[in-house]
Amino acid sequence: MNFAMTEEQALLTATLRRFTEKELRTWAPEADRQAQAPEQLFSKGGDLGLFVDAVPEDQGGLLDGRFEHLSRALRGLELGRGCAALASLLECNVEPALAIARWGSPALQSELFALMAEGALIATAHDSEGRLRIEASERVQVSGSLSAIPAGAKASHLLLLTDELVALVPASAARIEAVETSGWRAGAWASWSFDDHSLPAEHILARGPAAREAREQILSWANISLAARALGVATAAIEYATAYAQERHQFGQAIADFESIIRLRDKNETAIRAARLLVLEAASLADRDDPTAVDHASRARDLAGDIVTRATIDAVQIYGGYGFVNDYPVEKLMRDARAFEVLHGNAAFQRVLMRRQGDN
Amino acid sequence: MDLLHNNPMLQGVRQMMHAYAKSTIRPIAAQHDQEESMPWELMKSASMMGMSQTALLDTNKGALGQAGAGEVSDDKPKTMGRLQIVAAEELAWGCAGISLALAGSGLACTPVARMGTEEQKAHFREAMKGVDDKGHVKVAAMALSEPSTGSDISGLATSARKDGDHYVLNGHKQWITNGQSAAVYVVWAQTDATLGRAGVRGFLVTRDLVGLVPGRKEVKLGIRASETAQVHFEDCRVHESMMLGHKQPSAGLGDTKKMLDSTRPVVGIQAVGIARAAYEFLLERIRGWELHGTPMAGHQHIAFQLAEMEMEIEASRHLCHRAAWMADHRLENVKMASMAKAHAARTAEMVTSKAMAMLGEEALQAGHPVEKWYRDAKIFDIFEGTGQIQRRIIAKQATGLNAT
Ligand SMILES: Cc1cc2nc3c(=O)[nH]c(=O)nc-3n(C[C@H](O)[C@H](O)[C@H](O)COP(=O)(O)OP(=O)(O)OC[C@H]3O[C@@H](n4cnc5c(N)ncnc54)[C@H](O)[C@@H]3O)c2cc1C
Repeated sequence: MNFAMTEEQALLTATLRRFTEKELRTWAPEADRQAQAPEQLFSKGGDLGLFVDAVPEDQGGLLDGRFEHLSRALRGLELGRGCAALASLLECNVEPALAIARWGSPALQSELFALMAEGALIATAHDSEGRLRIEASERVQVSGSLSAIPAGAKASHLLLLTDELVALVPASAARIEAVETSGWRAGAWASWSFDDHSLPAEHILARGPAAREAREQILSWANISLAARALGVATAAIEYATAYAQERHQFGQAIADFESIIRLRDKNETAIRAARLLVLEAASLADRDDPTAVDHASRARDLAGDIVTRATIDAVQIYGGYGFVNDYPVEKLMRDARAFEVLHGNAAFQRVLMRRQGDN
Repeated sequence: MDLLHNNPMLQGVRQMMHAYAKSTIRPIAAQHDQEESMPWELMKSASMMGMSQTALLDTNKGALGQAGAGEVSDDKPKTMGRLQIVAAEELAWGCAGISLALAGSGLACTPVARMGTEEQKAHFREAMKGVDDKGHVKVAAMALSEPSTGSDISGLATSARKDGDHYVLNGHKQWITNGQSAAVYVVWAQTDATLGRAGVRGFLVTRDLVGLVPGRKEVKLGIRASETAQVHFEDCRVHESMMLGHKQPSAGLGDTKKMLDSTRPVVGIQAVGIARAAYEFLLERIRGWELHGTPMAGHQHIAFQLAEMEMEIEASRHLCHRAAWMADHRLENVKMASMAKAHAARTAEMVTSKAMAMLGEEALQAGHPVEKWYRDAKIFDIFEGTGQIQRRIIAKQATGLNAT
């Protein structure tokens, strides 16, 4: 077993680290205040190929061969260090592109890949609480409403995951309302509501048991990326807190040297490092089509969600009063932390329910 | 035994404050959080109802004006500590930011009540009368913390230089509650650096004094209905009669520390109020929630987390009541007060955090009550002595050492 990065992975990490430190971190505070991503995000993200790197090369994208979840996880660790909201926009096209390539008809592929090549974003939503009503007689009809979908306000389509259905729904089929969130504020969140919308057959990727299987796959990709980005946020929180603690003096010494503060940082660092290994392993299993990848991915997100919550709370604590105010970076991180745990449904609870049903 | 010890007065206050929090505070909480604005209208009506900002000065009354009347001679146990506790839990249950807006002036009243001369008390009361030029009720601020001095208040840089019968104040204060709007400030400054901690004294500074410069207001994670701002002193001349205690001997910082000890149970119980609010919201939601046809509450994964929350809330509330009860009985309560505050802060963090996770995507939306409570809760582990500082105090009581 070799834990070292390949040359390509090291290069990718270094490139994204520069992007994170130079651009994302510069944009993040204002994007958070305005609840809006800067225009440069889309041009820069486009230059880096992030919106189409899961779209096949012969369809206008950059994917040559297999998509690598391991590289994506490494990238998530870096982008998450920059800004959770901006990272979510940069990453949003991956699940839809992979899903369309795998389950979409050639017609759907050429339609949507062409759109994506022109800069379209596609959001993903999982109806984990069973809010939608799906009726399938002659045609499949969707009604009901999903409350908070990141990238939903900017997306041309939605990759919709439910118990019975995996489908791509165009924005024109829904009433879309922008939603203000507490964290990931620049993430272009929206609610999508459907009034008995009939889905054309070519927009349906899977139904019935096949849909459940496809959903599981898609969620496992999302879980890996969410876990990696969560750990990126946690890493940023502890980095900021560490730097601050070295500067800040109370009682005649740097607060970084009080043992309770040392331990606070140390515990978080250990947790982040351990979870990083789990995420990377889940990604590597996914790349090898190992059936346990799904379970690993779910555990990784569960763990990373806990860790990022803890790390960001602790970072605010280390900053003291400055942690509580918006001039310093960590209160934003504390707000940003919370989406990772609950997006697409709570991973811990999902596993409890699955085990109870004897699935595992 | 009921925590209110079958005390009809405490029970009455709880009912009254709960009704007030529910009907008056809750409906406007989200708006003031989103707008980051002080609830001036509410503060005006509250002051007309007798929830006076300066009632603490009146030793014969409780924090709630008439409600505390009936306090008797000094040798009998008081109920004021518990009375404050009972009221503060309900108000914070309504909204911790608004509750701080309503009670924040108390932070300044406490030192005046404890250390002030009769003349100073009268001066303070006078400054707090009526409304300011914006028509707002008057508020007061307690300015101790500085940009470089939070936990370790012995390093105060604000100076008070004697000049004739005046002191000249220079320095900067950071994170001051009501710092922008206050009609009167209690300011801590170093009168004589050679005296060290003994040289630190409090000064009453009214808003009209030249050289008092209210600074920028902070944008905050939580308790946004309470104003937090910097305050600057630029050659601000304060008459010596406005030095707290005036010519009486002072323990310097020691007095200040005692003052902070005395407010900790009240701070702790506000965290309990937030935790309870989040817990009740969650419980209500879970009771009506079905998952694939089975009640959500039938899942141990959910139910045991509820149990955990309730345990911690109850334990925290007991600690706060115990600490206040000890103060009412004039028993040394430093350790209990620190335990109460530190434990309650943790509880509020845990309960609101878990509640967000259990509610899922709905609680990510800005202005969702639980999301707000999560943001509000964090301050309780920071101000009035951080969680680390409380543990330092508790441990020192046990070991006699200041651990580093
Ligand atoms: C909303 C708000 C309202 C406030 N209102 C007021 C007010 O009205 N008046 C006022 O005077 N102040 C007020 N404060 C200031 C508040 O009391 C301080 O922020 C608090 O005391 C912490 O100080 P600090 O921020 O300087 O943190 P620091 O003291 O710098 O602490 C930073 C970190 O180091 C830790 N630390 C410090 N010393 C030790 C140690 N010995 N051992 C281990 N860890 C240690 C702390 O626990 C913390 O985690 C307010 C603050 C806020 C945010």
